[in-house]
Amino acid sequence: MSLTGQLRYHFMKDIGAPALMGLQNITKKKRIRKPDPLFAPPLECTARLKEIMTRHYYLARFVPGAKPVAWVTSGAPVELLRSFGFYTIYPENHGSLVGAKKQGANMCAIAEGAGYSPDLCSYARIDLAHTLSGKTPAGRLPKPDILFAANNICQTIVYWFKAIAHHYDIPLILLDTPFNYSAINDGDIKYMVAQLQEMIPVLEQAAKKKFNYAEFQEIIGRARDTSLAWSDVLATMKNRPAPMTIFETFFHLAPIVSLRGLPVTYDYYQILLEELQQRVRQGIGAVTNERKRLMWDNIAIWYKVRDHSVQFAEQGMNFVTATYTNAWAETTVYMDVNNPFESMAKTYSLVILNNNLDYRLRLMERLIKEYQVDGLVIHSARSCKPYSVGQYDIKRKLRERLGIPAVVIDGDITDARAYSEEQTRTRLEAFFETMGD
Amino acid sequence: MPNDYFAGIDVGSLSTEAVIVDSNKHLLSYSIVNTGINSSAAAEEALSEALQKAELPRNRIAKIIATGYGRAAVGAAHKRMTEITCHAAGAQQLFPEVRTVIDIGGQDSKVIHIGQDGQLVDFAMNDKCAAGTGRFLEIMAKRLEVKLEKLGDLALLAEKAVSISNTCTVFAESEVVSLVAQNHPIDEIIRGLHVAIVNRIWNQVQTVGVHGQVALTGGVALNRGVVNLLEEKLEQTLEIYSEPQIVGALGAAILASK
Amino acid sequence: MTTSDTRRDYLQNQKSSGRKLLGVFPAQFPRELLWAFNILPVEIWDPPVEIAQANAHLQPYICSIVRGGLELILQGKSSLVDGYLFPHTCDSLQNLASIVNDHLDTGKPCFFFYHPKAVDGQPAREFYRNQLTQLIDRLEQHFGSINIERLQECIQTSRRLYSQLNELFNLRKQGLLQITNSDFYATLRRSEFLWPTDYISELELLLTQKCVKPLPSRAVVLSGILPNPPEILSLLDQHKIRIAADDLLNGQRRMTFLPTNANDPLEAITDAYFAQPPCSTKDSAIAERLKHLQKLTVDSKSKGVIFNIIKFCEPELFDLPQLRAGLRSTGIPSLVIETEINQVLSGQIVTRLEAFLEMIGD
Repeated sequence: MSLTGQLRYHFMKDIGAPALMGLQNITKKKRIRKPDPLFAPPLECTARLKEIMTRHYYLARFVPGAKPVAWVTSGAPVELLRSFGFYTIYPENHGSLVGAKKQGANMCAIAEGAGYSPDLCSYARIDLAHTLSGKTPAGRLPKPDILFAANNICQTIVYWFKAIAHHYDIPLILLDTPFNYSAINDGDIKYMVAQLQEMIPVLEQAAKKKFNYAEFQEIIGRARDTSLAWSDVLATMKNRPAPMTIFETFFHLAPIVSLRGLPVTYDYYQILLEELQQRVRQGIGAVTNERKRLMWDNIAIWYKVRDHSVQFAEQGMNFVTATYTNAWAETTVYMDVNNPFESMAKTYSLVILNNNLDYRLRLMERLIKEYQVDGLVIHSARSCKPYSVGQYDIKRKLRERLGIPAVVIDGDITDARAYSEEQTRTRLEAFFETMGD
Repeated sequence: MPNDYFAGIDVGSLSTEAVIVDSNKHLLSYSIVNTGINSSAAAEEALSEALQKAELPRNRIAKIIATGYGRAAVGAAHKRMTEITCHAAGAQQLFPEVRTVIDIGGQDSKVIHIGQDGQLVDFAMNDKCAAGTGRFLEIMAKRLEVKLEKLGDLALLAEKAVSISNTCTVFAESEVVSLVAQNHPIDEIIRGLHVAIVNRIWNQVQTVGVHGQVALTGGVALNRGVVNLLEEKLEQTLEIYSEPQIVGALGAAILASK
Repeated sequence: MTTSDTRRDYLQNQKSSGRKLLGVFPAQFPRELLWAFNILPVEIWDPPVEIAQANAHLQPYICSIVRGGLELILQGKSSLVDGYLFPHTCDSLQNLASIVNDHLDTGKPCFFFYHPKAVDGQPAREFYRNQLTQLIDRLEQHFGSINIERLQECIQTSRRLYSQLNELFNLRKQGLLQITNSDFYATLRRSEFLWPTDYISELELLLTQKCVKPLPSRAVVLSGILPNPPEILSLLDQHKIRIAADDLLNGQRRMTFLPTNANDPLEAITDAYFAQPPCSTKDSAIAERLKHLQKLTVDSKSKGVIFNIIKFCEPELFDLPQLRAGLRSTGIPSLVIETEINQVLSGQIVTRLEAFLEMIGD
């Protein structure tokens, strides 16, 4: 890492970028939005969220030469990387941004032109398209020095990262998290701890920095506190009316996923939490007429988030919980600064997608009760097999046990070509009818 | 009298073509008939018609090569070869500079990379779905109550294209229905459909790569909308034979003469 | 009598003789362990069932192997087995295991086997060994204690079996086995339900087909999950093309060389697992798989590689573009066909295969 590169990066991080963002805020004509009768005014925090994420992607251009770059999966134990000062990029987050900009299908087509099957995960196709063509409608991704993955969210991500590793000829560091068919056991934990410890010398070499245990503990502590804050943020939605919609949390999720372990993320969730608590005290609901409360299952349909939020709000329906957003809060309790490796192994291997379907059913049952959920919307996502396979059975069991109405929407996280507007509308209208008044 | 004439028969899902060439590979005659449900009868019919046009008796044909989906059903054939090799040979004969052939037929589409001597280097074909084939346009034409032959010209008349997001033919069909219901101009929807099919073909082109000059064959080559949009993507003019459907049969006849 | 009848009869006889049967899903599992329990593993890859009920549990974008396996269970056609074993092969099989175990009332115990991914260091070896002991513990709860002496014997049997297989593959490679692709793979695949000593007898019979002079035929390498639809094999036979080597998950990718020096049977099984050829379902690096495919092609003097990919199979599909590019850069042509199990080969796939054969020349 060159000294000038580091100086330039730190200058931009501390002075250049904030100044530029400030300038942009002044010069940008503030669009005064007419108040939407369906929703409460947007959360004030949203501006801060945008600033954090924009700055993160903006700074990426000053990173080469200043910091080692790692591309990381959403479920990887990033706390370990943080202690070596890696600049981290989350291709999944990039994929969701591309999807939200409705550019998923176009990017996917580039990967398909290079021989990648349209049946593959669309986050992966977007990332491969970017890697092969350099194109992206969202942010800027600096070339990685290493890839850092865990297969606790899916096996697919390893296949995908293998292709990136082959393309750049760089190391892929994997935490193999054995799937929990039943309860986790000591052998599994021992295996993961041993892998984490074996990563240290590899990371030391890639980052040219010695591992500092005390610093690592501090990061673990901050990650835990951040996750707890996120969990508190989500818990505000147990209130009636809920101060936020799940569609908003899909965006407020970005820092906990991709900037976990950094002070900026912890601070952000403190102010978000404060604003939400304020709303609760004032009895402000995110959806002005919250008649029914819903749960969302699976990753968002990124190109439809806005449409869906209006469509449901018009029915007086608000999504108050989701298995997806909950994933970054559910295993936080295991984090332990005094036992960082073992606790990390548990935190990362016990997440929803690395757990059996009975666990998932019980988790959903608990969320339905705690959040007083009246109905369930299940996104069957072509891209995501571990999330989607088993949904039909879960739907059936939840109906049997709790009598909860549910609807399945066939679609995809970012590839709009796999989504049928007409078919979905019909299903949703039928669902609205079953939900009654 | 020497048997110095050669025939190629291409039995496709919709139409069957026969071509007769002489030993100098000159085209003598061709015929196009409907395949119907009996492909061996269609092959016979096409061959007799071509013979009649060339004013040749059957026994002057030294060798027959059959190609196309129904190639196995052609009893008279001395040899059977795939339409991929035959399209490569046919295009090579018509346009010696061509190294890439895009063939868009009724049921499938393919992109073929041919070497200097007309040999096959690489190829790609559409997957099971009909999105990148003539069938896609046929279904949409029917749904929009527009004559298939008019479709391409209507696409060219449109000022802009309505975006069709679904590539699956069934989904796209319902998308078209609702676009019509939303009062989008028909010609803009049609242009959107052409953009969709060309994007699909373009994916296949990319997997094989664009090499040298490019020829377009198959029935869809008669659709000026597809040709136009494809040329925009390629940034070069397509070589198109006046009877683009018979290129496969011609290739088969050429290969028979070797 | 059809193949499935003979298979069923065989299994029925095995059961009557006192053996337990375990329905095993793809792909990697320690078969010697099961044998030592006197358990016959019956592998479930491509059961000949009409899909009806499985669609109520699985979305349309799930592969036909997973769908077929579930259908077999739902139709009650696996009633002979005393339990199921689910190796952790991919996302879809992982969740299928959980559907069967958590959401279906089969009344039969489910066992699981997680093989370590991408890693082959000491932690992975220890973990693998730990998985073996855990599987033993679980099996003992249902099928009585394991007999260690018998396990040693099973390992001997396994060595014999694999050395014969190895010899057969060597002969195939050189074109010295007078047998069609169809017949060769039909026999190989009987390992999926035969007791090892019965299987060894069949391999011995196959070895008698050895000839002295190589048969004239062009050679290709077949890669993918399994040789299904079987028409692929007969089509190659028809064109006198020999599969001189394979990179199939249920073929040579599972070739196991049990070391002769390890005294500890679990150590021997562990060593064998880590010595297997690279595989997408183990997250092997693409460079490793490429090197392996190039070596298979060159050693067998093959003209190209045919990838027979099961539709929706993510582990295989992700590796393909770079594998093909790598092969191309060393002058090895390749072809991809996407198929679903037990489906008749479409005219389109036949055309693709034949065009490829025309392309690689004589």
